[in-house]
Amino acid sequence: MAIDEAIRRISLPVEGMSCASCVAKVEKALKNIPGVQAVQVNLLTRKATVEYNPREVSVMDLVKTIQELGYNVPQEEVLLNVRGMSCASCVAKVERVVKSLPGVTEVVVNFPAESARVRFYPGAISKSEIKKAISELGYEASEKVTGQEALDREREARQREIRRQARNMWIAWTLSLLVMLGMFRDVWIFPYFVPEFLSNTLVLWLLTTPVVFIPGWQFFAESFRGLKKGTTDMNLLYATGIGAAYIIATINSLWPEAGFGGKGATFFESAALLTAFIVLGRYLEALTRGRTSEAIRKLMSLQARTARVIRDGQEIEIAVDEVAIGDIVVVRPGERIPVDGEVIEGYSAVDESMITGESIPVEKKVGDQVIGATINKTGSFKFRATRVGSETALAQIIRMVEDAQASKAPIQRLADFVAGHFIAGVHVLALIVFFFWFFYGFDRYFLPDSRFILSPYSLAEIGVFGFALLLSVTTLVISCPCALGLATPSAMMAGTGKGAENGILFKGADAVEASAKLNAVVFDKTGTLTKGEPEVTDVVAASGWDEERVLLYAAAAEKNSEHPLGEAIVREARARGLELEDAAEFRAIPGRGVEAFWRGEKILLGNRRLMAELGIDINWLLPWAEELEEQGKTAMFLAVAGKPAGVIAVADTLKEYVPEAVARLKAMGIQVAMITGDNRRTAEAIARQAGIDRVLAEVLPQDKAGEVKRLQEQGLKVAMVGDGINDAPALAQADVGIAIGSGTDVAKETGEIILIRNDIRDVVAAIEIGRATMGKVRQNLFWAFIYNTLGIPIAAGILYPWTGLIVSPELAAFFMATSSVSVTLNTLLLKRFEPSTKAEKARAADKAKYKYA
Amino acid sequence: MANHLDTHRAARISALLYTGISLVAALLFLLLTYATGKAYTPVARYGGAAWVFILTMIITMPLVIPWVQKRYRK
Repeated sequence: MAIDEAIRRISLPVEGMSCASCVAKVEKALKNIPGVQAVQVNLLTRKATVEYNPREVSVMDLVKTIQELGYNVPQEEVLLNVRGMSCASCVAKVERVVKSLPGVTEVVVNFPAESARVRFYPGAISKSEIKKAISELGYEASEKVTGQEALDREREARQREIRRQARNMWIAWTLSLLVMLGMFRDVWIFPYFVPEFLSNTLVLWLLTTPVVFIPGWQFFAESFRGLKKGTTDMNLLYATGIGAAYIIATINSLWPEAGFGGKGATFFESAALLTAFIVLGRYLEALTRGRTSEAIRKLMSLQARTARVIRDGQEIEIAVDEVAIGDIVVVRPGERIPVDGEVIEGYSAVDESMITGESIPVEKKVGDQVIGATINKTGSFKFRATRVGSETALAQIIRMVEDAQASKAPIQRLADFVAGHFIAGVHVLALIVFFFWFFYGFDRYFLPDSRFILSPYSLAEIGVFGFALLLSVTTLVISCPCALGLATPSAMMAGTGKGAENGILFKGADAVEASAKLNAVVFDKTGTLTKGEPEVTDVVAASGWDEERVLLYAAAAEKNSEHPLGEAIVREARARGLELEDAAEFRAIPGRGVEAFWRGEKILLGNRRLMAELGIDINWLLPWAEELEEQGKTAMFLAVAGKPAGVIAVADTLKEYVPEAVARLKAMGIQVAMITGDNRRTAEAIARQAGIDRVLAEVLPQDKAGEVKRLQEQGLKVAMVGDGINDAPALAQADVGIAIGSGTDVAKETGEIILIRNDIRDVVAAIEIGRATMGKVRQNLFWAFIYNTLGIPIAAGILYPWTGLIVSPELAAFFMATSSVSVTLNTLLLKRFEPSTKAEKARAADKAKYKYA
Repeated sequence: MANHLDTHRAARISALLYTGISLVAALLFLLLTYATGKAYTPVARYGGAAWVFILTMIITMPLVIPWVQKRYRK
């Protein structure tokens, strides 16, 4: 979608959101601001992406709105070296310009120290934009700190939340357990060791009050802030639940004669345990939710902090952010490579597993590319930096994984809709439940020996208001849609993270969902299934000749040829250790072959037509040639001094593991097809080797998209696997475009899934990860929906007329906490998932270990 | 500044509306307790009315505030 030039798009971090309703609340509040065009808030990445018109609204207005809802928009601080300032007016100039940038809140320039400390909202403006603004004033600006702080800050915020909820847990649980002991002092063995004063209602009230007002305060404060802005979230459910239980308890303790059930129905444990369980849920969520986003953290932690570069002939250590393109970087054994580049001196083996997923170290020599964040294993080398900062492979991968995790899958829309409209609906339901039990249900069904489920507590003394209120409160508490809000995004985060771990980058949550639905995969032939580089496959020698001599003569004739087939012959001759000499004369005969003179003999190398035109009798070589051509190979005849000498077959060969990958796809119930511009005979030969039955041959590059469309019209969900650049239209047409072997320049690629390695088995792995992720999404949604579908009617008292049992508010809170924690834990099981090829490899390695142990 | 005043006025109108609706709902509840002819205690009558008032406020606030803001902006 094209964005109007006047419209700015920013992505603000938002801290403090705990559920899908918080997302809906922030989205709604931001959308209500005049000048805001579009808003998308993501709970797990905790970012609000806003498109707005800067003439109508400022970044500060957006931040203020979010803050008024009770959430925090963290600021970032950057310390810059500013060189070139000569006086105090330079300070004022830098301060004025930087302060006017959108998103900058504070600038302090220190002239003697030549530094500037800038506070800003990340996502509204970047450090490089700030540096650029200073540079445009004629000063040199560079960053003083390393790129690790984003990671540290995120971890710090999470730790802070965990600490806060842990403190709340201690208070809530310690006091709640005392309240429980006090409430049940008269039963079982408690009279022997629980002091009598603990059962005093005033003491119980004094113990319950801090539980409600210290750990429970967050719910009142956050829901009130939301209500002021006209938005609701699940804090409101908690606040009304806890508040109502506490008010009943207070009235019955302080004014027992008020006709509210009296001292026999104080429900202190309801108010206290309800708070304690909700806080427990918050604490467990804070603990587990961070783990699903570990992939990004892992990737970010790979970044080297410093680099050793050669400047003015000196080797100096600088912050990795300061490395410039063209810098010569020195890397020693065991060190992390700081940025991307090209080796100019030295030799080593580099562990690239953290980026590509490939476990075997890759040899690096002069001219080879190295990737930042990979680890140098053996030797020292120097390389020239070619990509730095946000352009490095690691930065691109992080950005892509972040974007994918920030996107929403189509399946999530239903959950978002339900979660977003749930709160108001639940309050309406609570009102209906209250009316029903107050005016009809209590008189009709109430039994004096009624009890709470899993509790010996009798409701004998409770009145009509207390009873109707209890059921209404329990309905509110049990209805929390936390699990529903977490179900899809948590699984998507884990799935995309699992993909990144294996060198498979999903560009969005929709790619994960679409890959799980695939039932057909179309492979491009050249460069995808085959190596894309012809190789000599067979050499047939005529009588009186041997293979090596045939190859030697052919290579001599082709030595100066630039034709791919000729190059393949020369490569093969060199590989066999043959010494090649230049031919005396060389002439290419277009469409036929070549003619050359070597060692005084005339050499002809080419097709049938060349031989026929020059009167060479190749009849007895023809059966071999035809057999080779049947296998999809190109047969070339060699004639020396007017006599046939042999046949050389050249073919583009299949990549390793292709038949294995195709067999796996078929076993998964996926139809496999191959598409190519080659002639049908060659295409079918390659397809046979690969195990592919369906061949779309002689298809021009521009028609490939049409072929994909034809398959889609047959009702198939099609993935197109290609090289990402040549096959762009077909990749775009397919339900899922998979760009294979892109290396690390992932940003360039078309397609929804990018495979960093050139291993065709990763196509299988990508689909397996997609299926596993969607499996988790479905399981999570099932449990979340089941929880609410069963929980709400039971809490509303649907079983009461038959069983005389009702759910207590604290039990409802326990169920609510269990549902969201169980969804998150279920998602975490995805971490154990390994694609079949990797799992088999690991099993084989284990077997080998036992064998040789 | 003008924008701030508008927001303030919209908020006041919203508050009047949702409080009014909630009071009417609570009043209706109260009337219903008499209309049924049952002998409810004062705590049940007024406590119930308070609960209905709170729930109606919670239901109407998120509906009324954006509605008023939207109308005001137009």
